[in-house]
Amino acid sequence: MSLIRALSKELEARSDNSLRALFAARPDLISPMAPDFAALAARASARVSVQRALERLNKPEMQVLETLHLCTNADTGHSVSAAGLKKVIAGSTLSALDPILAKLQELALIHRADPPQGSPTTSSRQRFYLPVGSLKDVIGIYPAGLGRSYTELVRLQPAFAQRVVHLVAELHHSGLGIHPASTPMDAALALQRWTSTPENLAAILSTAPERTTGLLDKFGSWAMGAVPQAQRRASVTHESHDVGPIDWLLARGLLVPLDAGHVELPHSVGLALRGGAIIDDFTLSPPVPELGHTSAALRRNAAMGAIAETLRLANELLFAVREQPLATLRSGGVGVRELRRLAESIRLGVQQTAILLELCALSGLLRLDVDSSTWIQPPSLEWLTLPRQEQWLWLVNAWLASERAPSLVGQPLTGPPSTSAHHGAAGATINALSAEAQRPDAPVVRRRVLEILNELTVEAAAPDGKAPVLDARAVLQRAEWAQPRMSRRFSSLVRGILEEATLLGLMGSGALTQLGSAIAGSQPEKAMTILGEHLPAAVNHILLQADLTAVAPGYLAPELSETLLLMADAEGQGPASIYRFSAATVRRALDAGQDAESLLAFLREHSATDVPQPLAYLIQDTASRHGRLRVGTSASFIQSDDETAISELLHEARTSVLSLVRIAPTVLTSSASPRETARVLRELGLSPAVQEAESAVVRFKRTTAVPGSARPVYTAPRTAPPDDDVEAQLVVLRQHRAVPAEATGEASTQLGLETLQTAIRLKQAVTMNVVDSLGNANTETVVPVSVSGGRVRVFDPAKDTERVLSIHRIIDVEPAGDVRS
Amino acid sequence: MNDGPLIVQSDKTILLEVDHELATEARHAIAAFAELERAPEHMHSYRLTPLGLWNARAAGLDAEQVLDTLLKYSRFPVPHALLIDVEETMSRYGRLRLEKDPQHGLVMRTDDYPVLEEVIRAKKIAPLLGPRIDGETVVVHSSQRGQLKQLLLKLGWPAEDLAGYVDGQPHLIMLDESGWQLRPYQKLATENFWAGGSGVVVLPCGAGKTLVGAAAMATSSTTTLILVTNTVSARQWKDELLKRTSLTEDEVGEYSGAVKEVRPVTIATYQVLTTKRGGLYPHLELVDGHDWGLIIYDEVHLLPAPIFRMTADLQARRRLGLTATLVREDGREGEVFSLIGPKRYDAPWKDIEAQGYIAPADCVEVRVDLPRDERVAYAMADDADKYRLCATSETKTKLVEDLVAVHKGEQLLVIGQYIDQLDEIAERLDAPLIKGETSVKARQKLFDAFRKGEIHTLVVSKVANFSIDLPEASVAIQVSGSFGSRQEEAQRLGRLLRPKQDGRAARFYSLVARDTLDQDFAAKRQRFLAEQGYAYRIMDAKDVGRDVGQEQ
Repeated sequence: MSLIRALSKELEARSDNSLRALFAARPDLISPMAPDFAALAARASARVSVQRALERLNKPEMQVLETLHLCTNADTGHSVSAAGLKKVIAGSTLSALDPILAKLQELALIHRADPPQGSPTTSSRQRFYLPVGSLKDVIGIYPAGLGRSYTELVRLQPAFAQRVVHLVAELHHSGLGIHPASTPMDAALALQRWTSTPENLAAILSTAPERTTGLLDKFGSWAMGAVPQAQRRASVTHESHDVGPIDWLLARGLLVPLDAGHVELPHSVGLALRGGAIIDDFTLSPPVPELGHTSAALRRNAAMGAIAETLRLANELLFAVREQPLATLRSGGVGVRELRRLAESIRLGVQQTAILLELCALSGLLRLDVDSSTWIQPPSLEWLTLPRQEQWLWLVNAWLASERAPSLVGQPLTGPPSTSAHHGAAGATINALSAEAQRPDAPVVRRRVLEILNELTVEAAAPDGKAPVLDARAVLQRAEWAQPRMSRRFSSLVRGILEEATLLGLMGSGALTQLGSAIAGSQPEKAMTILGEHLPAAVNHILLQADLTAVAPGYLAPELSETLLLMADAEGQGPASIYRFSAATVRRALDAGQDAESLLAFLREHSATDVPQPLAYLIQDTASRHGRLRVGTSASFIQSDDETAISELLHEARTSVLSLVRIAPTVLTSSASPRETARVLRELGLSPAVQEAESAVVRFKRTTAVPGSARPVYTAPRTAPPDDDVEAQLVVLRQHRAVPAEATGEASTQLGLETLQTAIRLKQAVTMNVVDSLGNANTETVVPVSVSGGRVRVFDPAKDTERVLSIHRIIDVEPAGDVRS
Repeated sequence: MNDGPLIVQSDKTILLEVDHELATEARHAIAAFAELERAPEHMHSYRLTPLGLWNARAAGLDAEQVLDTLLKYSRFPVPHALLIDVEETMSRYGRLRLEKDPQHGLVMRTDDYPVLEEVIRAKKIAPLLGPRIDGETVVVHSSQRGQLKQLLLKLGWPAEDLAGYVDGQPHLIMLDESGWQLRPYQKLATENFWAGGSGVVVLPCGAGKTLVGAAAMATSSTTTLILVTNTVSARQWKDELLKRTSLTEDEVGEYSGAVKEVRPVTIATYQVLTTKRGGLYPHLELVDGHDWGLIIYDEVHLLPAPIFRMTADLQARRRLGLTATLVREDGREGEVFSLIGPKRYDAPWKDIEAQGYIAPADCVEVRVDLPRDERVAYAMADDADKYRLCATSETKTKLVEDLVAVHKGEQLLVIGQYIDQLDEIAERLDAPLIKGETSVKARQKLFDAFRKGEIHTLVVSKVANFSIDLPEASVAIQVSGSFGSRQEEAQRLGRLLRPKQDGRAARFYSLVARDTLDQDFAAKRQRFLAEQGYAYRIMDAKDVGRDVGQEQ
């Protein structure tokens, strides 16, 4: 019976609760709603869905599933029971296997099957299982990390097939107890027998050069490995006594070359190395890392310090961007030079600045202005007006939901080298805010990392409030156990995630903080309360000192710090901000329209101490000499050495149209053009000489409205579908109970594919109904060769040719010889 | 959050709020490991440096105590990275130890094998070492002890020197405390030094560093070599020692350009030791040819480079460094640390001033406007001449006269850089001038007369910067300085800080030409003085008479 049909029947027979559990674990099955059980079974067997389901399995579950896959054969109906699995999973017990099998069955990754033919009747009481059809494609060619069998390698590796007979003959002549063979397939079988048991292999390896065991250990968890010149000529007969381990193994066929750089450890060798078991490291409990501890006080200190610092720096960064927007590169992103400028203005390292910049951008505190190709701060940004704990939550939420990986900035670019010359060059790094730091799976990974951190913290918490110090290694190790299929995606991101979490106070002193566990437990309100209690309040006074500095003893209210930054330069880095006055900074404030009195009044109002005399003197002295040179705009000027003539002009009623201003005893300026001014003067009976000069280019800056940023709302990635959907789905499924499986189109596609795949494996012919380019349906009998990318390659025995057909042209497929009902 | 007086910044500075009730307590706690950097009126700032942290380790403090102190007194969370950094830095000290081995002599030992491997592979260190005894021990050539310590410090693995000191030739020296007493902080400084073996005592000018030296000599009671900056200073040391200790004229020798006496206590100038003849230092023998039990370095911050090299060979003798400031314009504080020893005592100027041991100072910057012709000359001058032009403005001479008139009857110094200007001022004021060419004898005579009050006004060039003792100067007028050097400023101010009999504040005027380089340099000096906590005012030249008149 077709696997999908079998699965469909089984699903139909399940209780509602069992189905609910399935939908909760694999929400993609009912989105959109499945019309009937056949469709459900088809979806559950689809490759992508299975892939997703496997990502959620932990290591022992994966091991059982892979073993089950290795031990079964759907085509022959060879199923396996828990007892059968127990034999090949070292260290397992029935009581450990049964719940795992039950879970896998509940997830619809395996289903019940009849016992294999010829099995003893005693086993009739046992449950036998088969995996879903697409599992083979999803698991890949190395299930449980074991290689392919010799026969398969002979079939798929022509180079090996050519050599294998000769190789076996050589081994035979060297007296190694192997039967000679005349065909490649026989030779493969001979090798398979020769290496079939751990004892045989041990006997072979007893004469191996040293380091061979160490080398083979490296193939312990994965059958393929990289080896330089893998296709070298290695031969037993011409072997010197100081032969290297790789040559030695190649000469005996214990490693099979795949291409110039890779070798594979064949199935039987790998199995023998594992002592005859498919799995030799089965355990139900996760590895417990050795961890140091850190006290609650230290963690809180680190978290609060980091949060205060991050918020302060984010504010400063926004101020810097307001002063001068960030230019982007043509290829996108912010260049190193621009980043360095920003880093300098906020007195921070380049790498830290990059992370902070990314954090601001992903939180919507910065926007790319399309017209000017610069990053700017959106006007009227709500974030700036929020209390600090809400600012923090805004950042945390945005970070959790973001598909960007800030810590990747500055790391070398990997991946295929770009075709254009200027990027992708050796040594190129990922730019801030560029597309290369985009990681679509970042939110999922982040979530998982937080969960793992929380898990490890809860497991290892010491009684006196101490928490374990967790590093990337501990997280990766746990991820490897909890979700082996997904853990590969972790490795490049975990380190950065921990770093960013430290920046946001979720980690502190190397351990998960109270805030971190609150966020990991999806309790942002709790985190806010903790933060509100412990984050020091903003101060709104400064201390002025005679060395021309102002010190804010704590976090200075933003509006104050902004005014101060206008008249003084910020200095240093830390909870307290220091501002230094100098003639240049005071001048800056004067340029911005302040005067000495208003500056001093501001300082007097906000200083907890008297304004020191040298500071007052500096401000007054600078102000008194401010504006010795003046710059202004005028369209034309009138100059004359005759001061009285100038005075007369100024008071002449008819010159009022020129709006004259006397800027010096001998100079007037006018807002009218030189020609117009000259005309008016001539009308007055004067004869001015007009000095033509280049007219100034007046640029009008286009103002564009940039929308403000909305507060990010973070909802954890959905792990289960809403209850309503599940109930609705159940109703739909139960209504269609009576309808036969083949009735709906959705299931039939998957069924058709399954038929094709089975035919490919068994090299059987199928009869298919195909629509040609004119829309006519034809029935053909062909032998399918392969299916991929929406096409099927078929061999047409009638015409003796191969063809490629699009799958959407195929109306239905039946194994040839089946009688249509 | 607790409400402590400290704010620990992530840039490794520590701010101390002076007006906080726990400020004193916190200051004492952090002084052991952080260097006071600035001490303006409200917020003092300290800096955490590797050197400071190693100093603390040398003084027996461990990282945990340092972290506890920071966490205890900090008002806000302490940046975690800084805590880790402190811990790591401090753990580097003492991984290597210099020890005395009965069999092999001086050896370097470690419990941390990789560290030893790392340092013995350093190119510069390898030649200083002898054969390797075992994995953790290597012989050190004893003559290279100082050199090795210095290089290890540069590599970031400062060695703990446990090899001890030679006793030196005993010679009884006692303090003669009749009519005066060692001040508490002087006593403490001496004790700290002695307990630590070798090291530097930092005290402000006028706080009685000479007496710390004398007390150390009395504790040691061995023959002593004192290295000073110049001959005048040597004479003053001699006078002071004769007055304050049991030493007699015959026991104290001077070793300078003029006289070469070697006595149980010998005072030598840096200059004579560094005189080079035919590629050799003929007078170096004074140092290593005798069995000194104690070597005192006066004004460590001026220690010239050859003396550094020489000192490197003296590591087996007790060394005391005296200075007003560990700030070296050449940034070689690390060498002082490794060659003479860690800082053993430090007191901020303001503290000692508050206890009444040194006079409070009132610094006034007077801005003069250059007359039009001088402004034009200044604007058109080459860069090299600009400073001289503005610093020697004629208006300053006039102003000096006015100020002298205002302070009539007070002991007054006029200090300057340019001899022409000083000549003119001396002539206008009818006051004697001390400059480079003035003989030592004439100088001494003038100083004596000034001290006795026979002369009220003295014009001095920069030769008077160091170690002269003018007890009753209460007003100084600085007409020009050498480009705003912080050290020079400290020294000049130091001239005024010896306590006045009537408890009056000392007055320190700097005359500055507005809108010129002079003003830029003055800004530097102003910052330095304000950071040291001195009251600092700026006024215009035209207000001079009025302002001072009101006060009096």
